[in-house]
Amino acid sequence: MNAAPRFPVRRKLLAVILAATAAALLVAIGAMVAYDLYLYRQSWINDLRTQADLLGRTSSAALTFDDPAAAQENLDLLRYRPRIRAAVIYDARGRRFASFAAPGAAPLPRLPGPEGVHVAGDHIVVFKRISNEREILGTVYLRADYRLYERLLGYLGIAAVVMGLAMAVAYLLSSRLRETFVRPLLAITAVASEVSERRNFSLRAEKLSEDEIGLLADSFNGMLAEIERMTRHLESSNAELAREVAERRRAEEEVLRLNAELEQRVRERTTQLEYTNAELEAFCYSVSHDLRAPLRSIDGFSQALIEDFPQHVPEEAKGYLARIRSATQRMGQLIEDLLNLSRVSRGELQRRDVDLGQIAQEVVAELRQREPQRKIEVSVWEGLKAHADARLMRAALENLIGNAWKFSSRTAEARIEIGALRDGEHATFFVRDNGAGFDMRYANKLFGAFQRLHGAGEFQGTGIGLATVQRIVHRHGGRIWADAQPGKGAVFYFTLGAPRAAGASELAA
Amino acid sequence: MAEKCILLVEDNPDDEALTTRALRMAKTANDIVVARDGAEALDYVFGEGRFAGRDVSQQPAVILLDLKLPKVSGLEVLQRLRADPRTRLVPVVVLTSSSEDEDMLKSYESGANSYVRKPVEFGTFVHAVSQLGVYWLLLNQPVPQRWQPSP
Repeated sequence: MNAAPRFPVRRKLLAVILAATAAALLVAIGAMVAYDLYLYRQSWINDLRTQADLLGRTSSAALTFDDPAAAQENLDLLRYRPRIRAAVIYDARGRRFASFAAPGAAPLPRLPGPEGVHVAGDHIVVFKRISNEREILGTVYLRADYRLYERLLGYLGIAAVVMGLAMAVAYLLSSRLRETFVRPLLAITAVASEVSERRNFSLRAEKLSEDEIGLLADSFNGMLAEIERMTRHLESSNAELAREVAERRRAEEEVLRLNAELEQRVRERTTQLEYTNAELEAFCYSVSHDLRAPLRSIDGFSQALIEDFPQHVPEEAKGYLARIRSATQRMGQLIEDLLNLSRVSRGELQRRDVDLGQIAQEVVAELRQREPQRKIEVSVWEGLKAHADARLMRAALENLIGNAWKFSSRTAEARIEIGALRDGEHATFFVRDNGAGFDMRYANKLFGAFQRLHGAGEFQGTGIGLATVQRIVHRHGGRIWADAQPGKGAVFYFTLGAPRAAGASELAA
Repeated sequence: MAEKCILLVEDNPDDEALTTRALRMAKTANDIVVARDGAEALDYVFGEGRFAGRDVSQQPAVILLDLKLPKVSGLEVLQRLRADPRTRLVPVVVLTSSSEDEDMLKSYESGANSYVRKPVEFGTFVHAVSQLGVYWLLLNQPVPQRWQPSP
């Protein structure tokens, strides 16, 4: 069957049935023919023997009495048996006594042969001794057409017809029967091909029998069910996945949209801020330039009044003029401090590695130069390194150390300490003094502009310094706080935050 | 040869009066010419407009220049002075209320010889102006006449 794997099952089945039928028939016919031929031969041999015996018995008298005519008469009767082609009766001496030959028969043997039956070609030859109780009287010779081949041919003809008939019947029968056999298979095949073509896993093969094909259909259906279940599962998880992807995409789009919106707002806001900054700068410029000029006039002409008209200005008026002048100077200082406050908010933050200790030392040196008479112990710790804007840090330290300097001016053994508490990368810097201190209840007001915790008569100041320091610290992303006790001194702590990415634009705090 | 003058470029009459007063108090003998805006200052040095026909070979000993001026700003005046061969070498002291770093930087970049802030307090102001007078009129050696551009 392997030789013809392409033929459909239907045909293969037919071929199998026909081949089996033919083989069975051939074997049966062969056996029958062989048996029949055997019987045929046996019956012929028996027949010829009997005939020879009969001839011998009927001719024994003729031989005894040497009457060839009688023997001839007996032989002549053989013409009624056309298949006996020749017959000879020999006398005891082996001479032909009487003979018979059908027309066209082969020459007769001259001498009798040994007793017995044998087949010579398509003839059967019998030699039979004729005897009475005492002596051998002669021999009968019979030759008959065996016609084995004829018979064989006849059989073959019959076999062919039978085969033909049998095959036809087998064919008809099998074409009926094989339908019942093949149809379930074909049904499964049809379903299988439809499934594979249309990918429709909901199809089921019809179970048409309870045999192995039925089992096959069951298994096939089971498999389909499993595939269908898995496909459904797969499809549902695919759908789930698609939904999730869509969801995520929507979320991403939303994020992008929000980002764009945010960027737009940042841009607008930046523009606005830049505009505000520019305005602020213009304002500061005006303040710096124009607000000071009238003050200078007030101060200058007050002084001129005293200098140019010493006789005409009474002492009381001179006192008033002195108040006017000190007020203008305070105003000038206020303007200066306000400008400083706005200045620390403007411009890029330029971080680099700075030594706060060194800056502190310089600030202290300036203070000492300004007030050389002050006895004050200042200790600046080593290694106060920071990543910060040097200009702003100087302004901050000027204010903090200046404050410490100022508020410890009435302390007997004034001490200022500048140091840092380190926690890994993060440092908390501090400026400590043992001066006037303040009540922690008012600590929340410390860093507001123009907020003062001490009367002007006590300590001079505009109340802008700590606001400036706070702004500087905040611009660095740090924090500032204080700890104090009235009469015991104050500590100002500040951190400077993490350096921002280089190039990040810095908007005014 | 007559004493060279001082050119004070100042739009504020109060500041003008105070500066003149401070210079007088510092015993400055030089004439003080006042220009009330940048255009007038340029007219003076280049002998144009109101000052047409002035001998421009005679340039001020020092120009005290305010930055915030009507018409032509102080910085522009400074740049024009430095661009012209006749006034290229005239000492210019920027005398202003502004303490903005940027003003200071631009002034120096434009060729100012000094940058002096007008303090609010009159005593300090007098001190600053008298120091200016002493420095630019007495101590400072001007560019020799032979290097001055011929008229």
